[in-house]
Amino acid sequence: MTATLTPKDFATATPSWWCPGCGDYGVLSALKQALAELGKQPKDVAFISGIGCSGKISGYLHSYAFHGVHGRALPVATAVKLANRDLTVIAAGGDGDGYAIGAGHFVHAVRRNTDMTYIVMDNQTYGLTKGQSSPTSATGYVASVSPDGNPDTPLNGLALALAAGATFIARGFSAQPKQMVAMIKAAVEHRGFAIVEVMSPCVTYNKVNTYAWFKENTEDGTLREGYSPNDRLAAFEALTNEGKIPLGILYKEDRPTFEERTGLPQTPIARLDLRAARDGFAAMQAAYR
Amino acid sequence: MLRVILNSVEVMFGGQAGDGSLTTGDLIAGVFKRMGLEVYTYKDFPSRIRGGHTNYVIRASEHPNYGMADAVDGLVAFDLEAVEAHIEEMRPGGFIVFDSTSESIPDELRRDDVTWYEIPLAKIAKEQLGLELVRNTISLGVLAALIGMDPEIVRHDVRGVYERKGEKVVDLNMRAIAAGEDYVREHFAGRPSGYGLVAGSDGDRLIMMGNDAIAYGALVAGCRFMAGYPITPATDVLEWMSKQLPKFGGVVVQAEDELAAITMTLGAAFAGVRAMTATSGPGQALMTEAIGLAGVLEIPVVVVECARTGPSTGMPTKTEQSNLNHLIYSGHGEIPRVVLAPGTVHDSFEITTTAFNLAEKYQLPVFVLTEQALCQSKATLKPLDVDAVEIDRGKLIDSGEVVFGEYKRFAFTEDGVSPRVIPGVPGGMHLAPGSEHNDAGVITENARNRARMMEKRMGKLVSMRDDLPKAVLHGIADADIAIVGYGANRGPIAEAVQRLAAGGVLTRFLQLRTLWPFPEDDIRDFVRGAQHVFVVENNYTGQLMQLIRAVVGPLDALHGVRKYDGRPFRPIEVIEAVLRETDAALRDVHDDAAEVL
Repeated sequence: MTATLTPKDFATATPSWWCPGCGDYGVLSALKQALAELGKQPKDVAFISGIGCSGKISGYLHSYAFHGVHGRALPVATAVKLANRDLTVIAAGGDGDGYAIGAGHFVHAVRRNTDMTYIVMDNQTYGLTKGQSSPTSATGYVASVSPDGNPDTPLNGLALALAAGATFIARGFSAQPKQMVAMIKAAVEHRGFAIVEVMSPCVTYNKVNTYAWFKENTEDGTLREGYSPNDRLAAFEALTNEGKIPLGILYKEDRPTFEERTGLPQTPIARLDLRAARDGFAAMQAAYR
Repeated sequence: MLRVILNSVEVMFGGQAGDGSLTTGDLIAGVFKRMGLEVYTYKDFPSRIRGGHTNYVIRASEHPNYGMADAVDGLVAFDLEAVEAHIEEMRPGGFIVFDSTSESIPDELRRDDVTWYEIPLAKIAKEQLGLELVRNTISLGVLAALIGMDPEIVRHDVRGVYERKGEKVVDLNMRAIAAGEDYVREHFAGRPSGYGLVAGSDGDRLIMMGNDAIAYGALVAGCRFMAGYPITPATDVLEWMSKQLPKFGGVVVQAEDELAAITMTLGAAFAGVRAMTATSGPGQALMTEAIGLAGVLEIPVVVVECARTGPSTGMPTKTEQSNLNHLIYSGHGEIPRVVLAPGTVHDSFEITTTAFNLAEKYQLPVFVLTEQALCQSKATLKPLDVDAVEIDRGKLIDSGEVVFGEYKRFAFTEDGVSPRVIPGVPGGMHLAPGSEHNDAGVITENARNRARMMEKRMGKLVSMRDDLPKAVLHGIADADIAIVGYGANRGPIAEAVQRLAAGGVLTRFLQLRTLWPFPEDDIRDFVRGAQHVFVVENNYTGQLMQLIRAVVGPLDALHGVRKYDGRPFRPIEVIEAVLRETDAALRDVHDDAAEVL
């Protein structure tokens, strides 16, 4: 019935606030491409973002978009999905939004395994507040609030997700659009909570983790000899070893979703007739007689 | 002459948490109800699971009272600590049943104006019935014999509680009741309690806790999503909903914290589901930022606050009205919001159903503010009329389609309310941003737009005026003495008003049900011509009184009646405050426990 959509059908008229060369452009265009290739309609996509440079992405994707409070994209997205199972629900935010202020929600959203996708745009710095250390900044990273170098150990978000029981883990690099499109498509199609972490360089504040640095320090992790994305221990090793940063779909598992475990009906809650079941309501008062 | 007080008794069960006094208290409340009496219960328990003094008050009377009496008529004390804690609350002429198995009453506690029934309850339980646990049921038999609870109803209700545990357990409890009754007959035949109950007809009534009525009201009003984080005294609502919502196609999520609970509630409401959360002060504090988001995104959410004693952890299981300012003012920036406060269990149902309509009709957060003394108290009430509950979803567009480009989610309208699409509706795609935005949802810092958006959102507080729950006037409309209060204080204040009138002191009482937007006109009209205005509330700083003063200006005759010890008012405290400040003399301060044969 509907004509095939193109990435342009997912574009908004809002001009971007991102700096020229920002890694987030790559994420946005891969996302549009993936949704178009999957045949999704903008009306059926709910896109929930956090706060920060990356959080602005919801303004640029033609969809039902929600730009909420810092760190809380995941609980909002979880509830949107539970309220209407027909929707394709995608949450996105940065490393600060997801791994610092929203870290509590991150592990619990992973545990809950609601059928949705979470894109973490990792630039290893706080961009919108002009360059402080983030949870993923390297130890020793010099920034405005850590002039003598970041004293903290960087957080390994994907290893954390794996430990929390993630059922889909992928990592992309915003300068490698083809791989990113493929993994976002797979993430959206995954039944359960899918996390896609994208290395998304900040060209303004992060002078260490640049495009060139990522080209040098990443590799396709799935091409390693004997690698299987269904092996949890192998995934943990790939995610935590000291070598190059592995890209690709690194882990995948089939496990019942929150919706399945709670027996949530297929009919979206948002479509229920609230005036139905009046007789049932009155009968419930017998328990109090 | 034998003095017998009929059909009016306040019984207190006191012991250690976890020893079963709550179950027995519920049983007694049920029996009183089935005997046709009106019941109010109050739980005073410690914030721990085992151990620590706990008590359960059950008040029975011929007319509904919605609160405790001035004093305790009958105390069933399972230990000395219970006697020590409550001996001063005993009404002269009252009685105490004391478990004398391992403790005895020291002389200094032995008030001679109460009747003592010292019974080795635990010993009887162990020796005659082989199980110390049934001491509760023995005490029920004792109490039944002392005040004349209908033996058939007692047995029927005890059976109801223990039936699922099997006939053996039922039989044991039946023998325990008899053991209690027999003990009274054999040992205290010549020592009546002075209290009696005459069984009437139960009729078609319910006995329900405030939190049950809130949860039930939410279900009937169409709430199909709840997210919450366990917190006393609001957990009951989350538990109730998790049992019931799935049966009606809905879902409950136990969130990882209150930040998640409220943002989940926003998410579900954004997607078109009537959604709520329930919490208490500490959780409410965490929800503050997202409440602001609900205001600016014009998302309808219902937030139940079951207030307890603060600040910080405070006294988690005790009552207070110290969160009013928090609900009205919390948050950075300014948003329109509604705060409603039910005064009875029945009202808890009604206010909750209204809250959902207001939230959707005006697309903003609505708080249902209740307190531990109401939300965890049971009361008898008439059946709740589910057919009378209207569901008004306001300007919701959840089917059909809109034209993209023409449709504006935050369109400027006369009443400030914009048509609201939900995800899935063709053509309605837009951004809902917590940043300031234009009518289409595009983020902008344009000065003129900002001012118009503020006026649009805040203007909803004016357009909604006629839809807000009305205050209730009690007492004599043109009396010189005026009293204002809300929530659980509706009970003790209304009772004080009646008793003052019976003693010749006329008062009027305005029970507020909408606390925000503040009912300025109602307050102005109400205090007009009053010689004295009393504001009764459970907090230290007089939060309600400050709101009233802002409306009526400085008034010499504005008196704060405040209590902040974690316990609800008893009517006599209101009566005494009124008499003290007005120099009025009462012909006869009596409460309804004065019917003498």
